[in-house]
Amino acid sequence: MNELLEEVSLVERPEKNKPLGILFWVCVGWVALNVFGAIFANVLPLQNPLFENFSAVNAGPGLHHLFGTDDLGRDIFSRVVYGSRVSIAVGVGAMLIGFGIGAPLGMLAAYRRGRFDMVLTTVMYILLAFPAIIATIAVLSFWAPRGLAKIILVIGLASVPLVYRVIRTATMSIATKDYIIAAKVQGATDRRILVKELLPNVTPIGVSFLLIGVATVITLEGALAFLGLSVNPPTPSWGNMINEARTVMAQNPWLVIFPSLALCLFLLCLNFIGDRLRSHFDVTEVKL
Amino acid sequence: MSENEKLLVVKDLVTTFATPGGPLPAVGGVSFDLDQNETLGIVGESGSGKTVLSRTIMGLQPRTNVTVSGSALLNGFEVVGASERAKRQIWGTDVAMVFQDPMTSLNPVMRIGKQIDESLRVRHGMSRSSAKHRAIELLELVGIPSPQQRYSAYPGQLSGGMRQRVVIAIALAGSPKLLMADEPTTGLDVTIQAQILNLLDELKERLKMSVILVTHDLGVVATRTSRIIVMYAGRIVEMGTTRDVFQDHRMPYTRALLESSPKVASPSHTRLVTIPGRPPNLLKLAAGCSFAPRCAYATDRCRQERPELQPAGDPGHLFACWNPLPTTRGATPQ
Amino acid sequence: MTQERQPLLKVRDLNVVFGSRHHAVSAVAGVSFDIFPGETLGLVGESGCGKSTTGKALMRIVEPSSGTIELEGVDIASQSGRALRNIRTHMQMIFQDPISSLNPRRRVKDIVAEPLDCWKSVKGTERDVLISDLLNKVGIDPAVYGNRYARQFSGGQCQRISIARSLAMRPKLLICDEMVSALDVSVQAQILNLLEDLKHEYGLTLLFIAHDLAVVKNVSDRVAVMYLGKICEIGPGDSLYEAPAHPYTKFLLGAALEADPDSPMHSQVLEGEPPSPLNPPSGCRFRTRCPNATELCASEEPQPREIAPGHQVACHFPLTITRK
Repeated sequence: MNELLEEVSLVERPEKNKPLGILFWVCVGWVALNVFGAIFANVLPLQNPLFENFSAVNAGPGLHHLFGTDDLGRDIFSRVVYGSRVSIAVGVGAMLIGFGIGAPLGMLAAYRRGRFDMVLTTVMYILLAFPAIIATIAVLSFWAPRGLAKIILVIGLASVPLVYRVIRTATMSIATKDYIIAAKVQGATDRRILVKELLPNVTPIGVSFLLIGVATVITLEGALAFLGLSVNPPTPSWGNMINEARTVMAQNPWLVIFPSLALCLFLLCLNFIGDRLRSHFDVTEVKL
Repeated sequence: MSENEKLLVVKDLVTTFATPGGPLPAVGGVSFDLDQNETLGIVGESGSGKTVLSRTIMGLQPRTNVTVSGSALLNGFEVVGASERAKRQIWGTDVAMVFQDPMTSLNPVMRIGKQIDESLRVRHGMSRSSAKHRAIELLELVGIPSPQQRYSAYPGQLSGGMRQRVVIAIALAGSPKLLMADEPTTGLDVTIQAQILNLLDELKERLKMSVILVTHDLGVVATRTSRIIVMYAGRIVEMGTTRDVFQDHRMPYTRALLESSPKVASPSHTRLVTIPGRPPNLLKLAAGCSFAPRCAYATDRCRQERPELQPAGDPGHLFACWNPLPTTRGATPQ
Repeated sequence: MTQERQPLLKVRDLNVVFGSRHHAVSAVAGVSFDIFPGETLGLVGESGCGKSTTGKALMRIVEPSSGTIELEGVDIASQSGRALRNIRTHMQMIFQDPISSLNPRRRVKDIVAEPLDCWKSVKGTERDVLISDLLNKVGIDPAVYGNRYARQFSGGQCQRISIARSLAMRPKLLICDEMVSALDVSVQAQILNLLEDLKHEYGLTLLFIAHDLAVVKNVSDRVAVMYLGKICEIGPGDSLYEAPAHPYTKFLLGAALEADPDSPMHSQVLEGEPPSPLNPPSGCRFRTRCPNATELCASEEPQPREIAPGHQVACHFPLTITRK
């Protein structure tokens, strides 16, 4: 199709991109709602997520407890909202570290090439060969006491080689374009080329990968919680809520369903947004 | 009666793409025919619809977002509306295609011999050994030196010109009656270009097939075609024998196209004749002649009413213009 | 007469070698030529002959392995750092792919202003006026299109914007690398005419690199023909096309497709393909395809020699010249 339309599309290149679509904005809304909940959890009229109400243990969803209560009588709705704090903080925090280190290095390596690139890429590929999840588990099990900051730091560092690879590849395809050579020829300094020419073109790819990365890290946090390596209970996170509920799943399925649903929906939305943005910003894609 | 002898009869062919900006008529009602053993040139700039036309005739348009109407009768087979399965019967045997970029039309990880064998064995039920024998024959036919050795080469090991020869060999595997060559020499060097065009010419005579040369380059079609179709904005604007189109063109666009390309024969720093503006947006085609906004001779009528193809003096010479250029034949008494 | 003038660009024995010691490809092998102020030198040849590499080596986009490139007496080949950036502004380049030469995420005004912004030579309203003026010169309405993004333009318009950008620093030498080969014929004619106009207006000197013989002849005063990394013939465009002295030039001209049904049907087509630059033939590089080749051609490399004023050919047996 693309090949066939190439001839036609040359006549006039579209001025505006295709609209992102309703589903995209629904997803953005959902993610925004989650983030809002996570930030303002203690201001919102929520029950105390740690308060153990022994008069209402294992209650089903109802008016008083929207999502029901767990085996200690804690309000599940409030725990899901508070739990998003840890999940989102880990996801966003770790990715900020990963991008903060990986992205500039990736861009620089792809632009400079030569020995700098060769050494750095070799190091990163050696790190990549070592499974990140095992490294994370190993570090977290020995580095006591565990805390949110440590988890973010460890996952963030573990994601650096991955981010590096994606950004380096993306930059490399742009760095060979004629407009980069043209900028050099006009006397632009390396820093100017990196900031003015490369960065705007790498950013869309970076942003969409960032969103998908956040989603991946949130799943990773869930897996760590499952192994008991995430934040210590009773602080809720989506991961450790599912983990704790494992044993009582048969008696009270709500306990698993709601945090899982929250996790799934949030990840789905992030992935969808990331994917849509990627194709939206892809200027080379035929938009017809 | 004469219709039956034609290899290809195209009538009112329309190919419309559904786009977010509305329907886009890439081919807007094209009729022409092609004789056995004839070479026809289809010339146009980008956006003229020449590639879409050639793909539609082959039945290669995408399955979604496109509607085709009209008729394209290829050796008695109606391509428009035919099922994928039925079209597979004519691909290779009745019609074959040579694409512009030999690198993308060849599988880079497959030996070239295998790529020719494949179609011979699957399509024509040949045995392994006879397919190989035939493949080497075909490689020889398209002028590849030491075909036995090249048989087991990968496309990446060949030069652009050699790759295009392989693509032609693959197209010839089913002894097609019509070879559709879409920009077969674009991107090749001048000396290689001449080799490939000579090869196509030679093969056409030897195998008694017809060739449609689709190109933007008037030089490609000047000496190797019997007739030429000039397309603009999805329509035929002039059609006739090569001589008529080059020397007795009536449509101002044809002349502008001819005059705007620099000539080796003219002296340095010759001012080139240009066509102002650029090809129209097919989504916003005006009512009248599509060329009117760029035409020096345009009148109100041109802007309001679309000219249909009308016969010029010579048989088969048609043009679509309200204010045609004077014929150069007028001066010589009949 | 040309000898009296000082050349603007003087290239001597330029070599560009790619790859490592064992897989060295000499893409440009000892190229020497002059370009005089105000003239257009056409550089023509088939793909892989090194014409684009030569252009890029002049701009130091690829590094020359040896040789000198003197722009008004200053050797570009030995400059580095800020001095190199500085000298580069006297030379500009226009690339083949109009769309990839412009950053799709920047506005047209900013693209054209980029060289000025790099050097901060012109600022504020003066800069804006200059940009508008440049865009007007190349036929792009700055009021309508100035704020649009580069990705919204067609190939011909992109090439116009590229031209405007390259003129911003008022360069002395403009290198055009296949700048019209991706364009439609009608657009190509517009761009060639525009280039011709701007050349006179800005007093430019051009190195016009292309594979299309007709296009090269149209814009050039002198033409150099390259084959496998070497210049085989260089001379005034009209006489070189009329009476080529090198057999390769003759074949090249014979193979050119003319839009004329009466032109001869390539009876003499050059057989075979250029040998690999990895392993070039000894002596004359064209001898493997040359019908006139002798043992001398294999053993001894022909040196360029003058056969008419300003017309040099590197061939042991130049074709007989019928002039005078």
